Amino acid sequence: MPEAGAPLAQPMRLLVRNVVKVFPGVRAVDDVSLELRRGEVHALIGENGAGKSTLMHMVAGVYVPDEGVIELDGASTAGLGEQRTADAGIAMVYQERSLVGALSIAENVFAGRQPVGRFGLIRASEMRRQTARLLSELDLSLDPDTAVADLSPGQQQMVEIAKGLSHDLKVLILDEPTASLTINESRHLFRVIRRLAAQGVSIIYVSHRMAEIFEISDRVTVMKDGRVTGVRDTQATSHDELISLMVGRELVFEADPRRAAPEAAVALELRDVAAAPVSSASFSLRFGEILCLAGLLGAGRTEICQAIFGLRPIQRGSMVVMGRELRPRSPAEAMESGISMLPEDRKESGLFLDFDITDNIVAANLDAYSRSGFLSRPAMREVSGRYTQTLRVATPSIDRIVGTLSGGNQQKVLLAKWLVREPRILIVDEPTRGVDVGSKADIYRILRDLAAKGMAILVVSSDLPEVLALAHRIVVMAEGAVVGEIDAAGATEIAILELASPKAKRSDNADQEAA
Amino acid sequence: MTSESAMSDIAAQGAGPGPLREPGKARLRSLLETVATNRPILLIVLILALMVVMTILRPDTYPRPANAAVVLLDTAQTAILACGMMVLMISGMFDLSIGGILAFSGIIAGMASKDLGLPAVVAFAAGCVWGGLLGVVNGVLVTRFKINALIATLATLSIYRGLLQLLSGSGVSNIGGGFTVFGQTKILGIYSPFWFSAVVVVVFMVLVGRTRFFRQAYYIGGNSRAAKLSGINVDRTVFVFFVIMGVLAGLAGALLASRLNTAVVLAGQGVELKVITAVVLGGASLSGGTGTILGAFLGVLFMAVLQNAMIIAGVSPFWQLVVVGLVLLMSVGFDQAARGRSRS
Repeated sequence: MPEAGAPLAQPMRLLVRNVVKVFPGVRAVDDVSLELRRGEVHALIGENGAGKSTLMHMVAGVYVPDEGVIELDGASTAGLGEQRTADAGIAMVYQERSLVGALSIAENVFAGRQPVGRFGLIRASEMRRQTARLLSELDLSLDPDTAVADLSPGQQQMVEIAKGLSHDLKVLILDEPTASLTINESRHLFRVIRRLAAQGVSIIYVSHRMAEIFEISDRVTVMKDGRVTGVRDTQATSHDELISLMVGRELVFEADPRRAAPEAAVALELRDVAAAPVSSASFSLRFGEILCLAGLLGAGRTEICQAIFGLRPIQRGSMVVMGRELRPRSPAEAMESGISMLPEDRKESGLFLDFDITDNIVAANLDAYSRSGFLSRPAMREVSGRYTQTLRVATPSIDRIVGTLSGGNQQKVLLAKWLVREPRILIVDEPTRGVDVGSKADIYRILRDLAAKGMAILVVSSDLPEVLALAHRIVVMAEGAVVGEIDAAGATEIAILELASPKAKRSDNADQEAA
Repeated sequence: MTSESAMSDIAAQGAGPGPLREPGKARLRSLLETVATNRPILLIVLILALMVVMTILRPDTYPRPANAAVVLLDTAQTAILACGMMVLMISGMFDLSIGGILAFSGIIAGMASKDLGLPAVVAFAAGCVWGGLLGVVNGVLVTRFKINALIATLATLSIYRGLLQLLSGSGVSNIGGGFTVFGQTKILGIYSPFWFSAVVVVVFMVLVGRTRFFRQAYYIGGNSRAAKLSGINVDRTVFVFFVIMGVLAGLAGALLASRLNTAVVLAGQGVELKVITAVVLGGASLSGGTGTILGAFLGVLFMAVLQNAMIIAGVSPFWQLVVVGLVLLMSVGFDQAARGRSRS
C-alpha cells in the first residue's frame, strides 16, 4: 500500500508514481510508487532481483521509465539523463564506485564541470578551495589534492557524497553504502546522513543490513519481484515483519542447535604466524568445526586466509595442516594439501563472470576431468549438474553465463567450484556478502551440513549476526593480531566488538554504545 | 547461446509484455542472432557468399582449382601465426614481435644450411628453435619482469629486426642444399606450406578445444585473478604460450625461407597486424577470454578469400586496404550490437 502514511502537511521531495520498467523477458519494476519527504531517511529493501537497483537507476536518470512519472519538487525529471538529473540535485552513490583513482579528490568531485576562468582554463585553486569546504562539511580532514586511489573505501565513498553535495543536493541515493566500510567509517557515514537529513536532504538508503535500517531510517519500503510489498514507519515495524514482506515467508536465522565445539582432531593450526600486515596469529581449527574470524575491516582476517592459501608469504611462525608443516607458496600447493578458499570479492577474484556455470564449477579442478591432459566435457557437465542441484542454484540451465545470475546464486556457484575438490579444510571469506536472504539461509545450511560431515571450516565475516549464527568458536583479530577467542555459546555482538576495537579508538566505540 | 536455448528462453517468457510474436519470425530472428553472435558461422556464411558472388561475376577466372590453390597457399603463413596469436589473445596477451621472429628465424635456418652446411632438417629445426628462444625472451619480459605485453613485444620487435640485420646484412640468398624441400614440394596441387599450416591448425584445434593445459588460457583471459586463486599457474602458462608463439613464428620463417630459397631481412613486415586482424575477426577480444582456433583459421581464410576476390575483380590495392579495415570494424560492431541486444 504505497499510499499509506503520507501526510500532506510536508511537501514531497520526490514523487515516484506508477513507474514501470520492462527489460526483455522481465518486468523489473512493475507499477511502483514511492514518496520521499523532505529530510527523510527512507530505506529501500528487498532481495537481489527485487527491482531496487532498477528503480534507483530510474530516479537517478540512468534509465528512462516505460510508464509512470518521477517528480522532484513538483517538476518532472523525465528524459533529463544522468548528468542533468545530477545537476537537478539527485545524486547516487553506487556500490561500484565511479571515481578515477589516479585523479585527485578535487578533480573527481568536479569531474567534467571544473570551475573555469578566462580562455576556458581550469581554476585549480578555486576548485581546491570548494572541495576543501565540501570535505569539511563531511568532517573529512583530507587534502583535496590527494589521489583517490590512496583513500580507504570509506573515504572514497565520502568523496562520492561530496560530489553530490557540490550540486544543490536534494536527494541522495546510497546503494549498500556500508558494504565495504569499517565500523568507525559506518558511524561517520551515519552522522553525515543525519546531518544532511536535518538540512532537508532526503536520503534513499538501499541495504541488506537490517540493523542499519532500524538505526538510520524513518520509513522503509519493501520490494519483491518488481513490486512494492509494503511501506512501514520504521518505529512501528519489526525485523520479522520486514523479512516476511521481502521473502513472503518468515525466515529467522537461528544459531546452530548442534553447537558444542567438537573434540575432533586438529585440521589446521597456526602458531604465531606473521605475514605482513598480520603480525601474530595463533589459532587452531578442528574437523567438524566452524571457526569464525571476527574483527573490523583491516584487522588482517582476509590477509591471514591469504597466507594460509599461499597468496601471501609467511614470514615467521609455523602452520601445520593435518599434522604436517606447510608453507604454501601458491594456491596450487595449498589446494594439494586439501584446502579450498572462497575469496571475499567473488566478482573480481572468485568467478569468471563471462563463462557459463560449468566452466566456473570445474575451474579449480580441471585435473579431475582430464585423462592424460584431454578434458572430458561430459564429465564436467555431470559434476556441474550435480552440484548445481545439491546447492540449489536457481538457474534454467548449467549453460547460463554466471554474470547473469543473482548474487546469491553466484555465491553458490563459487561454493560449488570449491566443494567439487572435496576439501578437508574450507576457508570462506564473507560467505554471504551481497547475497539475498533466501540464498543466505541456504548457504548457512550448506556450511553446517559440511561441518557436520567433518569438514573443517574457517569463516571470515564482518556481519556479526552471521558470526553468531554460524560459529562454534570465534577468534577475534584486531590490528593484525589475534586478540582473543570466544566460545560461541555465550557470545554477544558487544563482546566481539569490545575485543575487536583497537585500543586507541575505544572512545569512539564507547559513544557508539551510548548512542 | 544455442538456438534451442534461445527458443526456450522465449517460450519461458510466456505471457511476457508486448504483442505476441509470430513463431516464424521469432525463429528467423533467433537464427539471425545465432549467425551474428557465433563468429565461425558468420565467417563461413560470408566466405561462401563471397565465393558465390565471385563465381557469378567472374565465371572464367574465379572458380578454378589453380585459384583455390593460390588462396590456400596464401593462408599458410598467417594461419600458422594465427594459432599462436589466438592462444595468446584468449589469455589476454598478444605478441607484436612475430614479424621480427619470423625474419630472424628464417635467417638462422638459412645460415645453418648454407654457411654451416647442416642437413636441411636440422637447419629447418634450428629456425623453429630459434623462434622459440626469442619467444622465451618475450615470455620472461612479460611474466617475470611484468612488462605490459604491448610494450615488451613492441620493443623486442625492434630489437629482433635490428639484430638480424646486424647479423646477416642483406639476408641469405640461394640457400640450396635441399633446404627448399619444405617449402617447394607440391602435394595434391598445393605447395607444402599449406599442408604444414593445415597440420598446425588441426593440432591446435584439438589442443585448445580439448586439453587441460590450453583450456587454462580461457580462465586466465576471463579473470586472471580468479584463475590464480583457482590454482592455475598464470605466469608459467602465459610464458609457455609466448614460447609456443615463438616456435610457430620460427616455423613460419623457416618455411618462407625454404619456399623462396632465400631468407629475406624484411620478411614478415607488418604481419603482426594482419594476424591480429584475422584473429579478432575470428572472435578474439583484446581483453581476452574468448575465441577459438577454428575462428582464427576462418578469419585468416576470409581475409585471403576477400583479398583474392578483390584482386580478381581488379580493385585497387589502396581500396583493398580500406575494405579490410571496414570489414574488421563491421564484424566487431555487428557483434557488439548483437551482444548489447541480448544482454539488455
